Amino acid sequence: MDVYQIIISSVLALVVLQGISMMSRVKTAVAGNFLSAVAVLTGIAVTLVFNEILSVWTIWPAIIVGALIGSVVAQRVKMIQMPQTVALFNGLGGGASALVGLLSAQGVGFNSLQLAAIGEGGFEGFVRFTSLLAVGVGMITLVGSLVAAGKLHRVLPQQPMVWRGHSLCTLLFLLLTIGCIVAGVFFYSSLLIAGTFIFASLFGLWFAVRVGGADMPITISLLNSLSGVAGAIAGMAISDVFLVAVGAIVGASGLLLTQIMCRAMNRSLASILLGGRPSRNTRNLQLTLENEQLIKRVMDLEKKIQELEALVKNLEDRVAVLTQQVDEAEKTGSSEETTAAGVLAAAKDVIIVPGYGMALAQAQYQVRQLADKLQSRGARVRYAIHPVAGRMPGHMNVLLAEADVDYDQLFEMDAINDDFARCDAVVVVGANDVLNPAARDAEGTPIYGMPVLNVDAAPEVIICNRDLKPGYAGVENPLYTRAKGVYLELGDAKETLQHLMADL
Amino acid sequence: MIHPLILVAVFVVCAVLGYFIIRNVPSLLHTPLMSGMNALSGVTIVGALSATGIALLSHCGWLSQVAGCLAIVLAAVNVFGGFGVTHRMLMMFKKKRH
Repeated sequence: MDVYQIIISSVLALVVLQGISMMSRVKTAVAGNFLSAVAVLTGIAVTLVFNEILSVWTIWPAIIVGALIGSVVAQRVKMIQMPQTVALFNGLGGGASALVGLLSAQGVGFNSLQLAAIGEGGFEGFVRFTSLLAVGVGMITLVGSLVAAGKLHRVLPQQPMVWRGHSLCTLLFLLLTIGCIVAGVFFYSSLLIAGTFIFASLFGLWFAVRVGGADMPITISLLNSLSGVAGAIAGMAISDVFLVAVGAIVGASGLLLTQIMCRAMNRSLASILLGGRPSRNTRNLQLTLENEQLIKRVMDLEKKIQELEALVKNLEDRVAVLTQQVDEAEKTGSSEETTAAGVLAAAKDVIIVPGYGMALAQAQYQVRQLADKLQSRGARVRYAIHPVAGRMPGHMNVLLAEADVDYDQLFEMDAINDDFARCDAVVVVGANDVLNPAARDAEGTPIYGMPVLNVDAAPEVIICNRDLKPGYAGVENPLYTRAKGVYLELGDAKETLQHLMADL
Repeated sequence: MIHPLILVAVFVVCAVLGYFIIRNVPSLLHTPLMSGMNALSGVTIVGALSATGIALLSHCGWLSQVAGCLAIVLAAVNVFGGFGVTHRMLMMFKKKRH
């Protein structure tokens, strides 16, 4: 029996891999996704047959209810809500793995033959360990994903939340979780199960609330990886090869995506998990509670000062912009070239840089219209996509695809970065940190060293942002105050783009 | 019961294979890829099914049925919702070819 199960599972795992490799090209991606889905459904059928549980009545209503909910949500959800939907689904998978671990930790879900085999081989420790590990990783995934989804859905604050003794608590919960799991190797106790469940949940909560909006692409891909790992470990606990195989594939892929995102932001995974600003965090770890309170007060004050400074800076910027606009208005009398629309009308090679602001304003359709208009005037239009623009990997691509933008026009950062200097004009739509030139030389800021789009190399830059406030990273963008060739079209991107098109 | 070493070996081999295959996916398709992976992580439904089924057959009490069925529902939402969402996203990429 086991041999057949291993062979069939391996074949199905290969089919899943084939499906994934087909997802590397747009042409075959739909078929690839379908193939993976078929493999999973076959896996389900095989499990039902091999475990001789086709006759068990309770599982059928559960499958039907879950399938219905899933299908309806998948059909109804809006594209803008995709990041939180992905996070939510992800969490549910983790929760399911945790429940499987919860059952197998108590020896539930094994038939008498299996129980005998476990006893004979002396695998009790392995089963207890993997069960508890599945509970732990699963609960971290569930709670972490729910918090991430809440943040993305704006039910929870976007800013990193730091509680009293945050780093200490996070570390403590992690260690307690690990302790419970390791103890499970040696003996059985329902306290260990409860401990793993509770401490893992707390750890998930503590680490996820601390992640800020802009670090979400990394967090989501990490949680995605964890949900796969949770599944694989649950598979080890109940000795299901297919589950182990697919879980491992998901885990590896999520880890790879996480790596790519981290590299694109020039941040280490640890700095994101353990706190927003790395330098503060390492200090925090060594401090006693008292000191930490003091530091917190200072930090609060510091934050307030920063806010005030930002306010002043903002006002100054506004004044600068207004003066500039007045200057421009004076000049307009002599030459027509100085308006944003004028620049675009003359441009033959335009690069559009979308950011999270485009997603917020739902301006992808207007962006597409603008591109169409420019193209009908004979201009070449391309899109430059920064790897971490938006709130999940590839966020901009999905939004632009929704607006029917041809994916041949989308370029990754490395492919297009040298062309900014050669193009005629750049249109920035709701992006800030990903093009902030300060990332190259402002040492000590969170974005220092992060690869950015070379928008500042372009001769003419039109910025359609909501305001001039620094982005998530809190670093001023020197581009906004550049003397020449920058046109600020502030306000809702939808409206500013429409004005721009009307003026063309 | 399959030997733990075999299970660990399967885990390692699949993780390595997956890592290298996924490296070829361009960032253009990262969101659908992630969402597809997300759907795949719902395969844990396989575990939920066997645990719940065997629990009922070996009379493990109603509490295990509640936990098991909850696991099945959650995993099913993950699988069906995940593949559905991925399909919708991919169709958006595809439609402009024609």
